[in-house]
Formats: sequence, C-alpha cells, structure tokens
Amino acid sequence: MTDTAILKNVSFRYANGDTGALDHLDLTIKQGECVLLCGSSGCGKTTVTRLLNGLIPHYYEGTLDGEVSVMGKNICDTPIEDLAGIVGSVFQNPRSQFFCVDTTAEIAFGCENMGLSETEIQNRIDKTVADMRIEKLLNRSIFNLSGGEKQKIACAGVAAMLPELIVLDEPTSNLDLDAINELRDIIRRWKAQGKTIVIAEHRLGWLSGSCDRVIYMENGSISAVFTGEAFFSLPEEKLSSMGLRAVLTAKNYLESKTGLTQIKLFEGNEKITLNGFVYGYGKQEVLHISELAIPKGAVIAVVGHNGAGKSTFTKCLCGLQNRFKGTVNINGKTYRSRDMVRLSYMVMQDVNHQLFAETVLEEVMLGADDPSEQTALNILQKLHISEYKERHPMSLSGGQKQRAAIASALLAGKKLLVFDEPTSGLDHRSMECTAELLRSLDKDITVLIVTHDMELIDRCCTHILHIENGGIESGCIGNGAI
Amino acid sequence: MAGLFTADIENRGLVLDPRTKLIVMITLVVFALGGTGSDIETVRYGTTALSILPLIFLMTAKQYKKAAVFGSLYALIKSAEIFLVPHITGAVLSVIGLCCLIFVRLMPGLIMGAYMLSSTTVSEFIAAMHRMHIPQQITIPLSVMFRFFPTVLEEFAAINTAMKMRDIRIGGKNAGKFIEYRLVPLMVCSVNIGSELSAAALTRGLGTKVKRTNICKIGFHIQDIAVLLLTAALYMLWILGMIGVVK
Repeated sequence: MTDTAILKNVSFRYANGDTGALDHLDLTIKQGECVLLCGSSGCGKTTVTRLLNGLIPHYYEGTLDGEVSVMGKNICDTPIEDLAGIVGSVFQNPRSQFFCVDTTAEIAFGCENMGLSETEIQNRIDKTVADMRIEKLLNRSIFNLSGGEKQKIACAGVAAMLPELIVLDEPTSNLDLDAINELRDIIRRWKAQGKTIVIAEHRLGWLSGSCDRVIYMENGSISAVFTGEAFFSLPEEKLSSMGLRAVLTAKNYLESKTGLTQIKLFEGNEKITLNGFVYGYGKQEVLHISELAIPKGAVIAVVGHNGAGKSTFTKCLCGLQNRFKGTVNINGKTYRSRDMVRLSYMVMQDVNHQLFAETVLEEVMLGADDPSEQTALNILQKLHISEYKERHPMSLSGGQKQRAAIASALLAGKKLLVFDEPTSGLDHRSMECTAELLRSLDKDITVLIVTHDMELIDRCCTHILHIENGGIESGCIGNGAI
Repeated sequence: MAGLFTADIENRGLVLDPRTKLIVMITLVVFALGGTGSDIETVRYGTTALSILPLIFLMTAKQYKKAAVFGSLYALIKSAEIFLVPHITGAVLSVIGLCCLIFVRLMPGLIMGAYMLSSTTVSEFIAAMHRMHIPQQITIPLSVMFRFFPTVLEEFAAINTAMKMRDIRIGGKNAGKFIEYRLVPLMVCSVNIGSELSAAALTRGLGTKVKRTNICKIGFHIQDIAVLLLTAALYMLWILGMIGVVK
C-alpha cells in the first residue's frame, strides 16, 4: 500500500490566533484508509484537514514548518487549484459551501472548473447520482433542500471530481439522525471504492464500523492512536475523560430518557397551556396541536425529524409567525401571538444574528424595559461572563456569545426560552457547560430545546416533546405523558 | 425565493435563451425608453405591442401576481397618457404629463428587467456570457456576487427576527441605532459566509488556469425564434418608416 498523505514534523500557527495550531505533528495516511480525527475544540483536527486540502497554506495564513505531501505532491509548491481534482472537501455548514442555486449545476461545478468535456461531465454526474441514489434531488433549487439533502449534494459534487482523498470537516453538525445514517452509507460506499477518507468530527457514534484508525489529538499533537474496533469499544467514562462525545447513539429518542429521577420536582407545579397551535403555509397545514400543557420550569427537549414541524412550533411559540391564532396561558393570563414576543425568546443556532450592541453589558441591557446596571451585572455574573462586560459581543467565543444572548433574554424578563440546536458542533466539555447552564436557570424559566443531541437531552432535559408530521407523537417524563 | 438570478428551476414554464431576453431588453430600451422612431405612427403601435411582451413572459413563468401589478400599473399610465394628458393644462399638466412621459418610457424596460432577473439561473447567465465571449475575469466575480445575494437576504431575515424578539424597532427607544444594530450582525455573518464560501470554491478548483466548461444547455429554440422575429419586425417597421414606405 502506498501513502496518500504524509505530514512530517508539522507545526502551524494561524497568523491572527493562538488556538488550533499544530505542534510537531507526524501523521501518515495510507491509501484506502478511513481515518477519524477527534479531540476537543481547538485540538487542531480542523487544521489537519485544511493542510490536506491545501487551504493551509494557500488560503488561511500562518507560519508553517515541516513537510506536508498529498499524493506525492508537496502541498506548499502545489497551487490549490491543482489539488482540486485530487482532494475533495466536505464542510460543516451546508449554507456556505454551495456555489450554484440548482443541484445539477452544483454537482457539475467542480468538473466544470477542471475543464472536462461536457459529455464527460454528464457521464460523471449520471454515475455519481446513480451511485449515491439521489436521482430525486437532481434539478432542484438548493434553497428548497433540507440540511441533510444539501450535505448529500455537497458529497456528490465532491465525488463527481473523482478525488483520491476525501476530507470531511464536521460534516454532521447540522444533520438529524436519519441524515447522519445516510451520510454514513455514503462514506461506506466511498470506502468500498477504495477512496482514502479523513474525517474530523465531534459526533462519533455514526462512524463506528466505518473507521480503520482513530487519531486522538490534544493541543495540536497526536496523543493516542486507536484501531477503529478498539476505539469504539472504549467505555463512555474513558471517552468523556478524554473530552470526547459518547459513541453510542440511541436509535429512539425516548430510549435515551429512561431512568430519569427528577419527575417529582414538577408534581403540582403550575402548567403553561398552549392552545390552538395550528399553522399552515398556503394550503398545507404543517402544525396541528390543539392543546398542550407543559410544566413550568421544565427543560423540555423538542425532538422529531427535519421537517416535522418543530421550527414552526417554536416560531409560533415565540410569536414570530404572522397570522398565527393560537394562545399561551401562564398563571391564568392569556397571551396572544403578538404578546408572545415579549414572553419568549429564541436563542438561534447562529447566535451572531442576535448580538447588536458594542459591549456585552450594553447588549444585555438593550432589550430590557427598565434596565438597572446592577441587575444586569448580577445576571452576567451568574452566567460567568461578567469579566467580558466591556468586550464587543462579536469578539467572544461561541459559547460566550450564547451566554450573552441568554443574559439579554433573562434581563428582558422572558419566561420561555427556546434554543435551536444549542450544541451543534460543540465538543464534550462545551456541551456539558451548556447542559449545566440550562439546568441552573431559575425555576420560573421554562426552557424548550430543539435538538438532535442525545447526550444533551440526557444531561439536562426533564421532559421530551416528540413532534412528527405537525402533531405530538409523544410527550414524556421518564415514562409518563406531559 | 426572491432575489437576483435565483429562478425557480422546478417550476418555470417557457424557457427563453438569456440572449433572447437581452435582445428584447435592448430593443425595449431603444424604442420605448429611447423613443426611437416615435414620429412614425406604426412604430409607436409596434413599440406598445412589444411593451406588452414582458408581461406575457411573466405570465408564462407563472408569476401572475407580478404580471397583474405591473400590467395594471402600465395600463393606468398608458391610458392617462392617451386620455387624460390632452385635456389638462397648466401645472397639473406638467406634473402628470411628466410622470406619464417618464413611466411610460421606463416601465417596459423595468418589467423586462424584473422578468430577466427572476427567470434566469446563474448557470444560464454564465453560459450566455461565455457564448458572447465575455472573459472569465468578469463572469466569475459576477457569478459570486449573484450567489451571495440570496444568502445575504436570508441573513437579513434572521436578523430581523432577532430584532423583533428584542423589541428593537423604528420608533422604539433605540431608533437612533436602528441601522447600526442591523448592519453589525449582517457584516459579521456576511464576512463569515463569504470566507467559508471562498474556501469551499477554492477546494473545488475555481480559478484554475484551464478553460472552464459549462454544462448548462442554452440555445435558441422555436420560442426564441418567434420572439426574435417579433423584435426584428419592429426594426423593419422603423426602417420602412424612415424610407417613407409606412407612416
């Protein structure tokens, strides 16, 4: 077997940062191998993928020492365009890796750039589409696809270029369980075709049985190497002590919730009643929940497949859906759609959308009716971000931004907090921090979390609300119904 | 999905070659906006007839609402020009007359522009530019720009939602900073997406020295020929008018 990629004594430091750098790393990737790179955020796994596809040193600037060669080509001397046909890359965010607005053109995009003939491109598209069984996705508008479908098109676009090495950087961050399973099948097919695959990931379970080698990284160097089999039989305690997410993925949302002990806390608690949660786009009704009571102070996981109606449900709950007629009843007071905006707050998946002010303190006080600086400081203190109160919110880390958004909601007196995938792309430690934070909120704050993250549900949720086809599939506390 | 060059390829009705659209556009600019041949009566009728063409295009693309709005607006202004303007005098004439004059000339081009942008995909646009031998140095940056617009619109919508939840609105207590609050997150998100987009495009070989192929199939079909004949007829009328065959 020949070596596909060789990294020899590689050190790298980003021009404008101190994290994610590599420190004297040696790694050889053999042809046909499927390698998983894991480790907590900032361990350098993404940096390794960028070295392999040439984005370092050709796009991301920094100081690079040591030797990197891919398919016998020295990466520093090879222009990134010439690597395009050899190394294929799939990225984390489906939103920002598309170049065209329709799917067929997107799959063809890479081949067009290589200057292949039209018939050759058409043949490759036909073959790739048949291989990946995505005939249904051809000639569609990118904007009408789900996250999972977008990621499949991204994979097809890469596969059509027939690369030897395929690099995936956290490809499942935005996917639900079904979409992840489909991605796993794609990876297995690539492996069967003899392609070399390198995956940097936080979510691990879906790769069990597909990986030949698992490389565990810490602080920019390799601290352990496992065979696939050995790694996926490590006990969960061992993984979490390494800062890694669990490898087992529960198949059923409800299975992950057995043995819960906090039910008693909510007995006799007040309830929040949702009435007439019915909504449709045009003629198509996407949500039909006539009545639902949720315990006040609970932390509720909202689960279900992509397109089940979860986001419509939460938008209605936050008063963001026009022409929505339903009501929410808390403490005998009824809120209509337009009042719900003041009652509830959504922390978005991309929290950058909701930070406006120049300093964290100003940010937190922005939405409050009668802000007193002391109350604001107390809340910042409680969320452990008071030391950053003079910083610009955009200069904070992802987790800190999330906290700033939560702080602003709390100070504005919001009683219902809705989180949209708060842990997508987070490592084990950050996930634990988020879980801890959600558990520690006041008892009169009710939290709904839209998530596919079983570990998060396990760590902090008291209830599960399962939505499918716009209705309630089941709601449960341990084994009881909501 | 509103935006430039984001045609709904799943549901588009009559497909015209981008170059046909461009020729109709130029013809409308020459005759309707430029007023070429407006001293010849038949050419005036011909121009009005051609001005209705973009409305028919919009209908075939199933954009009925847009067609209805533009259509009634154009009908209103045109009838004002014909029936109202000859009967008024003084200041009213200068205001209404001027409005009619400007909009009757502008609207056909505007409607055609709206149709062009909403019915062409980026790939078609690039393919057409390629066939017209426009260099890649111009087409690639343009295509990146068009790709970027819908994304920025999406970001903008998300930021609007976030502001609604924070009760930041025009007339609220933070009205003075309304624009700043909107622009800062928009810039941050756009820069992030832009840089991720460029990285993704680079790994897929955008910017190689080799000549780029384009698999997008564009070409003149029967509907293009029909439309082109119509435009050619107008030029013919004009030439015939110039040499005095028609009036």
